[in-house]
Amino acid sequence: MSDRRKIVLERDRHHKWRALDPLEALLMVLCGIAIGGFSICVVLDVLTRTLRSPWLWLQELTSAFFIYGSFLGMAVATRRADHLMLSAISESMTGRLRSLVEIFNRLVILACGGCMVGFGWQNFLHGFGSYRMPSLTPLAWWYLAIPIAGAFICLFALEQLINGWRHGFPARERAPEEQEHIL
Amino acid sequence: MILDAGWVLFIMAALFLGLGYLGVPVPFALMAGVFTAAMLTPVSMLSMVGQLFVGLDVEPLLAVPFFLLVGELMTSADVTRRMILLAQTFVGHLRGGLAQVVTVFSMFFAGISGSSTADVAVLSRTIAPEMDREGYDPAFTAALIASASTIANLIPPSIMAVVYGATGNVSIAGLFLGGVVPGVLIGIGLMIYSYLFGPAGLQKPRATLSEFAIAARHATLPMVIPVIIMGGILTGWFTPTEAGMIAVCYIVLFLIPVLRPAHIKVLPQDFMHAGLLYALPMAAVAGASAFGWMLAYLRGPDRVSDLIERSAGTDPRMILFLLVVLFVIVGDFVDAVPAIIIFMPIISRLTELGGINPVHMGVVIITTLVFGLITPPYGLSLLMASKFCNVRFSRAMFASLPLYIVFFATIAFCIFFPDIVLWLPKRVLPESVGCFKAPGGAGYICPS
Repeated sequence: MSDRRKIVLERDRHHKWRALDPLEALLMVLCGIAIGGFSICVVLDVLTRTLRSPWLWLQELTSAFFIYGSFLGMAVATRRADHLMLSAISESMTGRLRSLVEIFNRLVILACGGCMVGFGWQNFLHGFGSYRMPSLTPLAWWYLAIPIAGAFICLFALEQLINGWRHGFPARERAPEEQEHIL
Repeated sequence: MILDAGWVLFIMAALFLGLGYLGVPVPFALMAGVFTAAMLTPVSMLSMVGQLFVGLDVEPLLAVPFFLLVGELMTSADVTRRMILLAQTFVGHLRGGLAQVVTVFSMFFAGISGSSTADVAVLSRTIAPEMDREGYDPAFTAALIASASTIANLIPPSIMAVVYGATGNVSIAGLFLGGVVPGVLIGIGLMIYSYLFGPAGLQKPRATLSEFAIAARHATLPMVIPVIIMGGILTGWFTPTEAGMIAVCYIVLFLIPVLRPAHIKVLPQDFMHAGLLYALPMAAVAGASAFGWMLAYLRGPDRVSDLIERSAGTDPRMILFLLVVLFVIVGDFVDAVPAIIIFMPIISRLTELGGINPVHMGVVIITTLVFGLITPPYGLSLLMASKFCNVRFSRAMFASLPLYIVFFATIAFCIFFPDIVLWLPKRVLPESVGCFKAPGGAGYICPS
């Protein structure tokens, strides 16, 4: 199995605390559950509609799996450094300048994660006033995915920031099979 | 507003590009730009964070995970080799046989996955070493694989088409069908180039009828997938999401148990990996959706479309030409998915201004953006192919320069011959291109 397909990546080990490995594994499993649950929901939706007794709430569950899968995937991709990247100028840098840029990058991610937590939480609280049809479940439960993902993003950004500060950011080139892109 | 809207626009765009190229992941670079812009405008941060959710809460986007899962399962289970063998029996005997196989396989694979990078990964691992042994220049191999992989985003199912249709409210089935013409044109163009100007490779005998029959029999089961996907959508039985789901069920419940039963125990890993894989573009979609909203709030589309209107008036060809120039530049620097979402308000406005069919506009934009996959500095497919083929990016880039002609010719063809691009959607799904049933019930009336 190639490294990129492992549940916990060994890549960039010096940026990671072993204590958070189970969390990465858990988030990966949740991503698998999200896409699996999402697939099963779509199958059941088509089946029940074909049998002329549609379970309308399935569409809400489908969208919940989709939204939570997307945001949790966004969080775990932060730890695995799997996000879509433009060409990273910082990777060709070395020494102090590189450390400064890498620390700055993590601070940007941390700030974005912080906004997701703070304002996402407020959205969650406001979300109890709007509902998803037909089950009338408050939209807040969908909004909750944002602060949850934000909290994980902050945690992983902090982990990289602290470990990067301690151990540095050695230059390395990503192997092609490590690149996670979809287009 | 603290600053003039133009300045806020500039700061937002500069932050996105600056942070992106400094190494901040695309979704966070987009968010940083948007959140900063929100602080400089009366727009609340609350609504901007909420926009991350709104951008994903779009029903047609549900198709993306399925098309990625299909590609992931097919690649992981190594079923694609059968399709390569089939392509070999078709064109392996021609001059530059393996180069022809690369292109034909890409056209087959495009009917299954919709992901160019999956195509690059498969080809680089399977055919590239063979091409190396036959003496093909690795730079040419990388350039050809990268160029051929772009077809995956044109021939249906295409992830770019799903994102474009979902954000622009354009028929996804229409975009799928419209993408066939440029996809096939690029394929034919690459084959002609390889035949006339590419390395000759080893001359192989033409496959016998029985060899062809064996290869076809082995590839039958995987080749059913495009039929399921497009057949389901075109007959109106399934939406694109449902078609993707049926294809996944077919692979998991039938194809893998029959062809690669040992792979069943690895399926949970495939699902986990696909779960992560689909979150990556969706994270970019979330960020880009907030970015696009802010862009529209700051009247960015009006500014750009006014600029284009001043140069092009309402001439649809001129508008398309200027948009192609814009997207060739944008595609060089930005990923296609965020680019589509960010620029959608501009595209919609210009589509209306020029009276251009939205499906035609979509096909032209997507064809232009796939070209960005092989152009520097952010030619994703070419970057991957050059690394896989162990050749410097600059060498691969020079080898790909002549192939640009194929893309320019295809884009020009799409601009100047909308009737041919829209022929298939008009024939198969007239409603997708704005046609409506004639009052008498005989045939359809289509906008000119």
